[in-house]
Amino acid sequence: MPILRTVNLEQRAGSARLLKNINLEVERGEVFIIVGPTGAGKTTLLRLLDLLDAPYAGDIYFDGRKATGPDVNVMEVRRRMAMVFQKPVVFNTSVYDNIAYPLKVRGVANSIIRSRVGELLEICGLSGLGKRRAKTLSGGEAQRVALARAVITGPTILFLDEPTANLDPASVKTIEDLLAGFNRRDSLTVVMTTHDLQQVQRLAQRVGVLMQGELVQAGTPREIFHSPGDIRIAGFMGIKNILRGIITRQEGGMAVVEVKGRVIEAVSELPAGAPVDIYVRPEEIVLSLQELRGSARNTLAGTIISIGLEGPLGAVVLDCGFRLEALVTARSAVEMALQPGQAVYATIKATAVKVLPALENAA
Amino acid sequence: MKALVTRSIRQISLLVLLVSLLLSIVLPGCSPAARPAATDNKSAAATTFAVTAGIPRFKIATTTSLYDTGLWNYLEPMFEKKANVRLDIVYAGTGAALEYGKRGDVDAVVVHDPEAEAQFMADGYGINKRSFAFNHFLIAGPAADPAGIKGLTPDQAFKKIYEGGIADPTRVKFISRGDSSGTQAKEKLIWQAAGYTYTDVEKAGPWYVEAGKGMGPCLLMANEQQAYLLADISTFLAYKGKVTIVPLVEQGALFLNVYDVMAINPAKIKTAKMLPTANAFINWLMSDEVQNMLATYGVAEYGRSLFTPLKGGGCTEPGCPKLEDYTTPVK
Amino acid sequence: MQELWEGLVQAVQLIVRLDPEVVEISLRSLYVSAAAILIAALFCVPAGGMIHFHEFRGKKVLINVIQTFYSIPTVVVGLFVFLFISRAGPLGGLELLFTPGAIIIGQVILILPILTGMIISALNGVDKSIKDTALSMGASGSQAIWTIIGEARFAVVGALILGFGRAISEVGAAMMLGGNIRGYTRVLTTAISLETQRGDLVLSLALGIILISIAMVVSVIVNVLLQRY
Repeated sequence: MPILRTVNLEQRAGSARLLKNINLEVERGEVFIIVGPTGAGKTTLLRLLDLLDAPYAGDIYFDGRKATGPDVNVMEVRRRMAMVFQKPVVFNTSVYDNIAYPLKVRGVANSIIRSRVGELLEICGLSGLGKRRAKTLSGGEAQRVALARAVITGPTILFLDEPTANLDPASVKTIEDLLAGFNRRDSLTVVMTTHDLQQVQRLAQRVGVLMQGELVQAGTPREIFHSPGDIRIAGFMGIKNILRGIITRQEGGMAVVEVKGRVIEAVSELPAGAPVDIYVRPEEIVLSLQELRGSARNTLAGTIISIGLEGPLGAVVLDCGFRLEALVTARSAVEMALQPGQAVYATIKATAVKVLPALENAA
Repeated sequence: MKALVTRSIRQISLLVLLVSLLLSIVLPGCSPAARPAATDNKSAAATTFAVTAGIPRFKIATTTSLYDTGLWNYLEPMFEKKANVRLDIVYAGTGAALEYGKRGDVDAVVVHDPEAEAQFMADGYGINKRSFAFNHFLIAGPAADPAGIKGLTPDQAFKKIYEGGIADPTRVKFISRGDSSGTQAKEKLIWQAAGYTYTDVEKAGPWYVEAGKGMGPCLLMANEQQAYLLADISTFLAYKGKVTIVPLVEQGALFLNVYDVMAINPAKIKTAKMLPTANAFINWLMSDEVQNMLATYGVAEYGRSLFTPLKGGGCTEPGCPKLEDYTTPVK
Repeated sequence: MQELWEGLVQAVQLIVRLDPEVVEISLRSLYVSAAAILIAALFCVPAGGMIHFHEFRGKKVLINVIQTFYSIPTVVVGLFVFLFISRAGPLGGLELLFTPGAIIIGQVILILPILTGMIISALNGVDKSIKDTALSMGASGSQAIWTIIGEARFAVVGALILGFGRAISEVGAAMMLGGNIRGYTRVLTTAISLETQRGDLVLSLALGIILISIAMVVSVIVNVLLQRY
């Protein structure tokens, strides 16, 4: 049973629909990361999940019980949760008092508070800073205080809103390590937002993609990165070589797609006549000076527009009637003596061409 | 949202209630001096008073002309000791003092406006009216006397001041109390005797200044502006060292200034509960102890007494109180 | 200038000699205004919090009205309270007129608007995310409000000192409601008023200097105490 579940959650500001139809499930003990472009509604969603705001419509179920509606004691439910905000927020008191705060408002005995705060200061690398005025800390330290304060009560679930957005790389790593630690050791369920896709790959067990107020896809990082649900998601995930076309023929799972007058064969069940978006990962494109013969269905002739370096790889941009980006090793680029203006062949397996039903209003 | 507002309103009302309770219970209880017992009042506050009751407080309102002379500084401890009360003296113009009496905020009034007093008695607010002292008003002004009033009668002098003020308001000015005091009432009477309608005088020009202050401040103001004014002699003498203006007109039947004392009538003002003390106070003012003291009050400092006690029949002018008004004890 | 100097000298003398009457009047001033500010704070801090934290129709109007009453003349407050607590008034049975309690009530009402308004602005100065943080850390609604008030403590104490200053320096309500009764309701401002009326300007000035000194000492002590937290 998921620890957190939302049903048709909707939020509005005036007449603007900030979130619509959010059906989200977070499993106990997982790190669930919500990604999406700025303004997609990530913060709005987290605020709903932490019960800071009431939804316009829909329900939230936490640990099997309904957490929205008039009969819910919001504070009681919220006391099993915790949230860390994007900008580190510390009270204008000592570090000790900041971390102790959640226990104090719960009326926990001072002796217990002392030992718990001591533990967390240690874990979060804040030893010796207990008496410091929290406002005088650096951003990274302050965020560690916020994190220690959030987990001191041993919450069931922790929400974090872009917790590392304003931090230097070293602080980002510290926070990530701490999060991973709390998640593993205390089986703390973590729901966080980020716009850092690499952070997703480092931390997430599952990912939800939020776009224009809708949860457009949820799954493992692998699913999201390799099989984005639509071309918008693919674009957001940084996928290149996205092309708009139309299926002209369908033959037992093999589709012929026409893109700007050229024909590309791909594996797809979509029927003939369907407008589609296709994309090909640059690393799936093989460049050659002669036309290759083999099992690959697609061989496209093109001209090199530019060659750039991406680490040890060369990114070659071709004009095949449309733009196509391919990756070659720096070594083969030298061997083939690739240069702008040169005519080359791009060979692509039919299985490497991903076909998605075309989205309206998306290129 | 609506529920939230309703809840807030409920919380606010609860707070107001709490604070009011605090005010009504804690405040009188922790005042430096205890309040009198109010036995017939069943409120929580009154109970608190009863618990903490000590020496009862007896409140009087007196005119500023009496207060500013410092007379009460002498009389207050004398009466407190004699009657075993705390004498609380509030000073105000006769009009305001009578208003306090009408509202039941004081237990007795000491004033000097025969006409207003008569009305106060006729309306039933006052009871046991007696006179205890008198003195005179005078017209003071700059020694140079630009209006030329020295030696005239009060009404003639006012006439000269009026004419002088109209002719040149920079040379001749008149400071009026401009309040509802006994002195103001006297001033109006003199204007009438001089043949003017008071409402016309008020609007006669910049030479006529309505101060709206007590006797003392008016004296200081007249001194600053080198203006004429009507003052009671006791206040004038008490301020003599502080001013350079001099008495110019001191004779005249209109100048008689009699100080009266009245108790507040419990039959009219239900909250007036100190009638016995008020009666004791009135009788005490007529007593030899006070009368003898009045005969000498101020002599050492000013060369003459500020007030003349009525005892011994020294007041023979028209308008002086009848013998029984200052000899018959009240009950 | 001469009078100013003499006033200063006499003030120092009165303080050094611990003139019993001056000491008594000063202590009463302090007691009355301190009581007023404490009672007002008891009301204004929660009221300011409630107005700040709740959204309701007419909130802006209410705040505007509160701000308008910042400059309410003390004599108007005096008259208003007088009509209530005079024996002939609705609260006459409490027999409060011409008592120190009456002055306290007047001063409380006088400083209610300014204190409430200043507390609202003090809370406005606190980062909005503090409230969210407090709530998400498990605070109840009122715990969150107290947390925010705690965050605004410097500004709140500033407001309290301002209110105390307005209370101890006002004369209208003290005169009208206390009656300036010697040994009972005479406070520094009414004593100054009386001595000015009597023409004793130097003594008035001395009392005024003592009043300012009290206000200053209170402000300094409170600020020193506050620095420790």
